[in-house]
Amino acid sequence: MRKLAFAVLFLALLYVPLGADPDFTQILTAIDQMGNFEDSDFYCEYTLTSQKPGEPLSVTRGQMFRRDRTDQFVFIILEPVEERGKGYLKVDDNVWIYDPQSRAFNHSSLREEVQNTDAKNSDLGRSNLADDYTVTRSAQSTLSNFPVWILELTARHNEVSYAKIIIWVHRSNNLILKEEDYSVSNRLLRSVAYTRYIRVGARFLPSLITYIDNVNVGETTITELANPSVAPIPDDRFTKSFLERGAD
Amino acid sequence: MIQEMKIAFRNLNRQKKRSFLLAGAIGFGIMIVTLINGFSGAFIENVSENFSHLLAGHIFVEGVEKSDRGRNNYFIQNDQVLIEGIESLDLPLRFLTKRSDFDGNLVYNGQTIRQTIVGADWSQENYFQDRMMLVDGSFANMSDPQGLILSQDITERLGLGIGDRMLVKLKTYTGQQNLGEFVLAAVIADPGLIGSMSGYANLDYVNELLNLGPGEYKILGLYLENMSSIDDSVASLYAALEERDINLFPRDADAEDANYIEALMNQGEEETWEGLRYRLYTLNDILSEVQDLVTVLNVASLIILLVLFIIIMVGITNTFRMVMLERVREIGTIRALGVQQAGVLWMFLYEALFIGLLGFAAGLTLAGLIMAGLHTINWGMDMPIFILLKNGHMTFRLFAWQLFMNLAIVAGLTLFAAYGPARKAAALEPAHALRIQG
Repeated sequence: MRKLAFAVLFLALLYVPLGADPDFTQILTAIDQMGNFEDSDFYCEYTLTSQKPGEPLSVTRGQMFRRDRTDQFVFIILEPVEERGKGYLKVDDNVWIYDPQSRAFNHSSLREEVQNTDAKNSDLGRSNLADDYTVTRSAQSTLSNFPVWILELTARHNEVSYAKIIIWVHRSNNLILKEEDYSVSNRLLRSVAYTRYIRVGARFLPSLITYIDNVNVGETTITELANPSVAPIPDDRFTKSFLERGAD
Repeated sequence: MIQEMKIAFRNLNRQKKRSFLLAGAIGFGIMIVTLINGFSGAFIENVSENFSHLLAGHIFVEGVEKSDRGRNNYFIQNDQVLIEGIESLDLPLRFLTKRSDFDGNLVYNGQTIRQTIVGADWSQENYFQDRMMLVDGSFANMSDPQGLILSQDITERLGLGIGDRMLVKLKTYTGQQNLGEFVLAAVIADPGLIGSMSGYANLDYVNELLNLGPGEYKILGLYLENMSSIDDSVASLYAALEERDINLFPRDADAEDANYIEALMNQGEEETWEGLRYRLYTLNDILSEVQDLVTVLNVASLIILLVLFIIIMVGITNTFRMVMLERVREIGTIRALGVQQAGVLWMFLYEALFIGLLGFAAGLTLAGLIMAGLHTINWGMDMPIFILLKNGHMTFRLFAWQLFMNLAIVAGLTLFAAYGPARKAAALEPAHALRIQG
């Protein structure tokens, strides 16, 4: 009898963690849905403060226009003054950078850094975790007293920026609290701390993100999001001519 | 005719100082123009040769794969069919090179520098070492798979010493972030802007960082015996590869908005295809803009020649007017002795032509001496102008057509300048001329 009770207890213990594991793909989809605006446009102002060893603090302020249903975004720089009018336009997987000095567009990609900071163009756009990654390991833990899932995500294809990322996801609301990005050679490249969220309609968006460069120690970028809006954005905002006009 | 030439030559000798000054002015112009022509003639040759060493080839083959997500990935997967195509031809081939490269950030001691890293097979490319001026370390250190050769400028900016390990952040051939580690094996003299842009590493390690598979690399280079056979060789190679049903980009890129090489590289942005599609391009394609620069230099030298000679022409015209006034009685005498108007005209014209020819010869000789002098100076391979030099020496190349054109311009303009005064001299009435007191 005791043996049977022990066996039942053992099986129950085995079952509980297995049964407690949610569908992680659904969590990734929920994270994507939280960060994507399929049913409306999205506007906000970003401030990127970059600190590099031996260099003065660099502050970039800009306006972001996003239309996720057509996978488009425009980021136009307001500060520093000498960069004012410089803009990023995403069309499909291509990113075009407009230089108001030369009045020319140069090709870039989502994998390139924004204004030589630790933030990438892809960090400003829509989230595609569920499409791009698969959960290969998971664990329960706490982060600053928050209950979290630690999920190791491995790239489904070799065209995403990071071959592996680890995310710390709040177990109750699916908000990412921390992220680590790894190279193809499985070395930690970047740590990201999502330290503040704000409500935008029914969604929560990270409004204070700290990117820490784990290769060049001492290099950090802090991204702040302000004045979010889901009001409709005129179509002409997502065109090259808007960036050209913006420089005038 | 001979008589007029003799008189014209004698007249030149009568006023040696004046003739010397006029011929000297013409000679100076010819010297300047010949130097420019000589420099621009060798310019394209030297730039091409130096670039062929830097890029390790004269003809290049690269493979482009269009991924499911529409991204162009550049690599060569199975080069057997390409090698067979090359070997089937009787190309003036010295050797083949296999290279991979990437633009990455070198990170050392809190410092970051953007650098192009070129992966080469150091056991095969011995000739390449001969082109580099070693400052510190040793090429033998490249036996370390993670060895890296950097220019002096880059190592000084990063504060690196031989044996120091540094990190490199890069993107793989499909655009993923990767991190590698290099050891400084050798420091080479900084050969100016173009040289300092590249560091050199082992091909296998660069391929590993790019996440390329075994036997894969980015560019196959054909190093030919001579550069004059580039265009013919690429045409026959294209045909040979096409015969083998290899998917190739066309060689006639539309260069309406960009230069030719840019147009070549942008091919296929909008298209899709299965597997690898190969692109053939040459050093001549890459240097097409340099060729434009040579044309600009030649046009500029022609304009200089014309401006100089318009100034000289005024001098010649004035001098011959003076000569005519000085020789009025003499002209009257020879006309009275039976010399026709045409004879007088040709005397003056021959005199001008001889001045022009003397000036041309003097200018050409002087330019030759200056070129020979400049050629003996070894400017070294660590000068920013090394790309314009041949093994550290300035070289000049003159084309016969340029010399004939300059000669024709000199002869034509001096004759034109002297024609007015000569015609006036020929038109003088003998009796009237004899009455004038010189």
